[in-house]
Amino acid sequence: MINFYLIKKRGFRCVSLALMLTVSVLAAQGQSVVITGKVTDAETQQGLPGASVLVVGTTNGTITDVDGNFSLNTDASGNSIKIAISFIGYTANTVDVQIANGSTAPVNVALQPDIRSLDELVVTGTSVATSKRQLGNAITTLQSKDFQLGTGTSIDQLLTGKIAGAQITQNSGNPAGGISIRLRGPSTINGSSDPLYIIDGVLVNNDSPQLVDLGGYAQNRLVDINPNDIERIEVIKGAAAAAIYGSRANNGVVQIFTKRGKEGNVQVDFSTQFRVNEVRKTLPFNQHPSRFTNLTASDASQVPVERFDFQDKIFRKGIGTENYVSVSGGSATTQYFFSGSNFYNQGIIDKTDFSRNGFRVRIQQRFGSRATLSAGANYSMSTSNEIPNGGINEAYGALTGFIFSNNTVNPVKDPVTGKYPSTASVYNGLRRTNPLEAINRFEFKQRVSRFIGDVQLQLNIIEGLNFNYTLGIDTYTQLSQGYIPPSNTTPSYDLGFSRRGDQNVFQVNNDVSLTYQKEVKDWLESTTAIGGTIQYDRSNSTVITATQLGAFGQTINNGASIVPSESRSERVFMGAYLQQTFGIKKKIFVTGAGRVDAASVYGLSNRWQFFPKLSGSYVLSEEGFWKDNLVSIASSFKIRAAWGEAGNLTAIGAYDRFSNYNPNPLGSLVGYSPSSTLGNIDVKPERQTELEIGFDLGLLKDRVTVEFTYYNKDVKDLILNRTLAPTTGFNNRFINIGTMTNKGFEIQIKAIPVQNSNVKWAATFSYTNNKNSINGVEGNGVLPFAGGFSQVAAVNGYSLGAFYSTFFARNPDGSLLLNAAGLPQRELGVQGANGNYTVGRTSGQPSGSPLSKVIGNPNPDHIVALINEVDYKRFNFRVQLDGMIGFDVFNFTKRVGDNQNYGGLKGYERELRGEVPKGTSGALFGIFENWIEKGNFVKLREVSISYTVKPKVLGIQNMRIFISGRNLASFDNYSGYDPETNAAGQSNAVRGFDFVEVPIPRTYAVGVNLKF
Amino acid sequence: MKKNITFISKAILTFSAIVYSGCSLDVVNPNNPTDGEVLKSRDGLITLSVGMRQIYSTSALGALILTPGTTARELRGITTFTNIIEIDNGGTLLPNFNGNILAIWSRSLRVMSIADDIVLNAPNILGTDPAMLSGVLSHAKLLKAMCIGGIAQSFTHTAIKLDKGGQASFVTREAGLDEAIKLLKEAEQSLVATTPSSEFNTKVTGVEFNLLNSVRAYLARYSLMKGDYVGAIAAAKSVNLSIASSFIFNVLSPNPIFNAIQVSKDYAPRDAFGLPASLIEAGDGRVGFYLISTPTTFPTTGGDPIDGLKGFATTNSSPIPVYLPDEMRLIIAEGIVRSGGTLSEAVTEINAVRTQSTGDPFLVHAGLPAYSGTIDTPSLLTEIFKQRCSELYLSGLRLEDSRRFGRTAPPTNVNPIPLTFERSRDFYPFPQQERQINLNTPADPAI
Repeated sequence: MINFYLIKKRGFRCVSLALMLTVSVLAAQGQSVVITGKVTDAETQQGLPGASVLVVGTTNGTITDVDGNFSLNTDASGNSIKIAISFIGYTANTVDVQIANGSTAPVNVALQPDIRSLDELVVTGTSVATSKRQLGNAITTLQSKDFQLGTGTSIDQLLTGKIAGAQITQNSGNPAGGISIRLRGPSTINGSSDPLYIIDGVLVNNDSPQLVDLGGYAQNRLVDINPNDIERIEVIKGAAAAAIYGSRANNGVVQIFTKRGKEGNVQVDFSTQFRVNEVRKTLPFNQHPSRFTNLTASDASQVPVERFDFQDKIFRKGIGTENYVSVSGGSATTQYFFSGSNFYNQGIIDKTDFSRNGFRVRIQQRFGSRATLSAGANYSMSTSNEIPNGGINEAYGALTGFIFSNNTVNPVKDPVTGKYPSTASVYNGLRRTNPLEAINRFEFKQRVSRFIGDVQLQLNIIEGLNFNYTLGIDTYTQLSQGYIPPSNTTPSYDLGFSRRGDQNVFQVNNDVSLTYQKEVKDWLESTTAIGGTIQYDRSNSTVITATQLGAFGQTINNGASIVPSESRSERVFMGAYLQQTFGIKKKIFVTGAGRVDAASVYGLSNRWQFFPKLSGSYVLSEEGFWKDNLVSIASSFKIRAAWGEAGNLTAIGAYDRFSNYNPNPLGSLVGYSPSSTLGNIDVKPERQTELEIGFDLGLLKDRVTVEFTYYNKDVKDLILNRTLAPTTGFNNRFINIGTMTNKGFEIQIKAIPVQNSNVKWAATFSYTNNKNSINGVEGNGVLPFAGGFSQVAAVNGYSLGAFYSTFFARNPDGSLLLNAAGLPQRELGVQGANGNYTVGRTSGQPSGSPLSKVIGNPNPDHIVALINEVDYKRFNFRVQLDGMIGFDVFNFTKRVGDNQNYGGLKGYERELRGEVPKGTSGALFGIFENWIEKGNFVKLREVSISYTVKPKVLGIQNMRIFISGRNLASFDNYSGYDPETNAAGQSNAVRGFDFVEVPIPRTYAVGVNLKF
Repeated sequence: MKKNITFISKAILTFSAIVYSGCSLDVVNPNNPTDGEVLKSRDGLITLSVGMRQIYSTSALGALILTPGTTARELRGITTFTNIIEIDNGGTLLPNFNGNILAIWSRSLRVMSIADDIVLNAPNILGTDPAMLSGVLSHAKLLKAMCIGGIAQSFTHTAIKLDKGGQASFVTREAGLDEAIKLLKEAEQSLVATTPSSEFNTKVTGVEFNLLNSVRAYLARYSLMKGDYVGAIAAAKSVNLSIASSFIFNVLSPNPIFNAIQVSKDYAPRDAFGLPASLIEAGDGRVGFYLISTPTTFPTTGGDPIDGLKGFATTNSSPIPVYLPDEMRLIIAEGIVRSGGTLSEAVTEINAVRTQSTGDPFLVHAGLPAYSGTIDTPSLLTEIFKQRCSELYLSGLRLEDSRRFGRTAPPTNVNPIPLTFERSRDFYPFPQQERQINLNTPADPAI
């Protein structure tokens, strides 16, 4: 332990981590025994293939074969041995096996199926496989069957609606559209609130590199992982559970386990599917047959025009295909798994697509009876053809052009000149992109080549004492290209634009742990774990932008102006933890842990951090009084509480604590100038303290289970990228000044209302209630964010990402206070702190400066999900509804489309028809309150029907045919495409921002799974 | 049990024996030097001086020219961007969160902050090299004065002392000009007393930028704005009119006017410098110097014709004059007229500008006949304004001139401001970013 504190600082950088390890394995004593037996389902009496059989206290184990039989070689010193039998979806069981003359009687074990058992084994946050009964915190586990027919393209997409306490938002409907996950609300302002992802022990990178501007949308790199390879997912949601992950665990941890080979015959799985994507809803467009001659308010004259719906030329029906094959099997000592996949999916914006090809290998090898080595490798190549949309920074997108155009120009290419006509407003002549030109002439592409690999060594040193070592590597290269040929309709790049961006990312983690489990007394069990980690990551990027291009040639060499930029980042993390659990009479469990942690991102004075954790659980249903009186109603009942601290270090970059100077050569003169960010050498990690209290209740023999958790997350030392008054000479500075709280509760109810030999109906209901609030913003209590057109700010007392902007001047009765021309106007007066203000009036009209207040909140108060699954004979029906209630969307799309200068949307017709005074849309344009809408929605997220047959030909064990749909319907009153959107992509602070981002498509799929 | 404990101890020892080779938590930033390196070294202060001027010329200068130029009707905003439309409209509805207004303010203050850092640190670091110190200090004082002056031309108040705590106090624009004048006088005295070393000229100013003449020209400019006509005339006369002093640009530090007008096409020059017919004469050679006069009408601009731009924005590396020598002649003329001097002397200066057809270091030649109008104060002031509008087109001075020469102020009850008004604002509101944080921010002007 001590060595972790005393690591010598070396003058050179960490390039490699050498691990020298000597372990003396005690010579095994005793006799060799062969244990054989069969594992069955207690209800159906069918053999259970793939169940795990393990000698307790060792890593020596095996997997049952296709009929549920197993055979296990082991050493035994006494005349009895304990073996543990477990299988996903069943209550685990431990049996004592008597040894006589080096062999045993056949061991037959029947496992009880369970929905939510307290004995389900989990490892996340515990480092030792631990039954849920011991945990003081909530943990969500998902199996592959929970998402295998979901037709989602990425893991995070498939998690939607399946985790109580999670808000999962698809930000873009592009074929690899980004996803944001918030576990129990956001935990940072300036960093990322997405959880830490661990796949097979590898800390995987889930950044969203934006090397070319696609309008705001970016892929998050979890999209490189093929969901078909996943066997199981564990999710812990906050500091109370995640303290041992230290300064990276503030946002919770999602641990993913991929499929492994099992002892037995070769098993081949093949699946193929075909899908169709289509736009679910288009915006009603302006069909008024004339337009105003000019925008002079007093001139109502109109001239006839023909109007066009650009959307039917932008959207299309996209198709997709997916093929997946896996081969697995192995002997008692060696198991293997191999998979290959090919996925192609077209977007609903013409000319967009995403494809992902990859393979995965895992080999497990047992050495003797005490050592197991497991090595895995995953390669993937993700490729996409993109069309920019949105328009947070750049306005060259297709849908961007649509919303900024008068729809009185036919956008199709002139057949004679071959040129795309300008769809610029006839009123202001402002340049804007012809959407069809964006689709047909622009070339935007991304390619990511990625390798993820791990090696895991497990040593059972003596009974109860295990050593684990994991080496994880994740590395990828992302290449993004953008090309806009010269002579086009874009606002800013008439002379052409070419950009190439490369990013190389490398991450490595070394984790060691030593765990010791011991039955100290027959009533007292002890589990001790110590562990250490060293992590290193490196990201190098180069972005080269060329403008003023020649007429031909797409590469940057063709530009007269070429601007390169390069940046490098390296980070080193070290940490160690000690965790101790005591189990008393198998009903009271207490865990304490501490973690020390250091990151190179922080200055010496605040580098080393300590994160403690304490939790307990009490299985009341194990008590005699319960068993005597209550068990017939409430079959199991556990209360739990957990408290812990964890950190977050995504809020600042590797070198952001310094006052950095940028090179500014001026001709032959060497120049440097300060960054507009003022340094802060004493900045430290954000720290979250979380308390969670809850219970797990099983009713009617666990036919109904209820999991309830209340939580209170307090984040302090929030690093705010504080905007500075320009009279500081700087623009911004990272300061540990903010605080944030998330208070709420989550509940998940699982029930099996019907279960008989023909029908099984299972239903899961999840509900999350979260209230987020920010405090500690200095000055006037308002911190505006970039990326939201200055309409989004952190405001003391309000939730993250609050829409903070101008609002209507109103009369005392709440009606609009109109100006002399009869138009609505924004409120004026004197701005106070924290979004407060004093309204000014002169002669009954607003006077003073334009006022801002919090006009909307993008964070849902309520998140709900209902999943129903019915198995009827060989049919399986599954329906998932999920939704978010109590949040607002900033409808910038409507704000522009309804504006008099553009007026391509239906909303402008009323002005043309004379139902409102001419100039109304112009007046409303600057009153942002008008563009806030309720986003409440419930979506028919997933529907699937499958039919399983056992054809007994070609060696097919079973064949499943399915049809499924995703995002088939949305029940909402939102006027835009979809209230689930965010033009600012995976931005942490700017949420719910609707600005012509690609809407989430409706997807239908048909496919077949074959098992040989 | 004992065996187990022994073994656990052994295992922990083993565990502790993990050796980390060369893994340091002190990762050096390979991308950038830090303040400790730049502000505390000789090379750092020299290169920071260059960087300061580069930031001024590529960032602040564009804001100081384009936005007031649009307000004073030299340019029209022609893109979708709301901030530019708002500037183009002007009037009382111009919001304080407008990005262009913020750019004038924050970019100038940023340069001012660098200048302050240099003035603070140079005496210690460069104390042993007085010829370098004189150059570096004077150069920093000039840039600071240019920033104060630039802000004072667009806002009613400015800060002259920055505060990293965010609560800087404000002074009126007149007091700001006084501070700028004071700094420029200090710089001039230092440059005269201790000539900067050739190393300074090689490493900081380069051949294109002339420090002493630039200091004197800006001293003349601000003295005139402040109403110190004697000082203005003296300073203007001290400028060597045959020397060109320029900001230089290249691909990596592109000419901001070229970028905004030729590349981004955010703005376009108005035909005939955007001047009413009474203020422009046929045959003025400067029209052809600055503009490509093939007027295009934009429906948006209500028939208002716009031109292409030449002048100092033909390529991304075209140099921009720090000042135009003929500004000095017009300063002298205006100083004479406004201080009740001999009007014929003013006419001589005016004619030197009007009739110039050769010899201007920047080739800005009017080629007009000599002044033939009435020789009285109002007529000559109008003539001087007229000459300034053409000669100094797109140099960031039109808005200040429009006010100083008492051109009709924009109305407060019409939005957007009709083009018949020669300017659409008097001064800008203080940027929201300043107001939200700094409690000392003064009240916004009515227009």
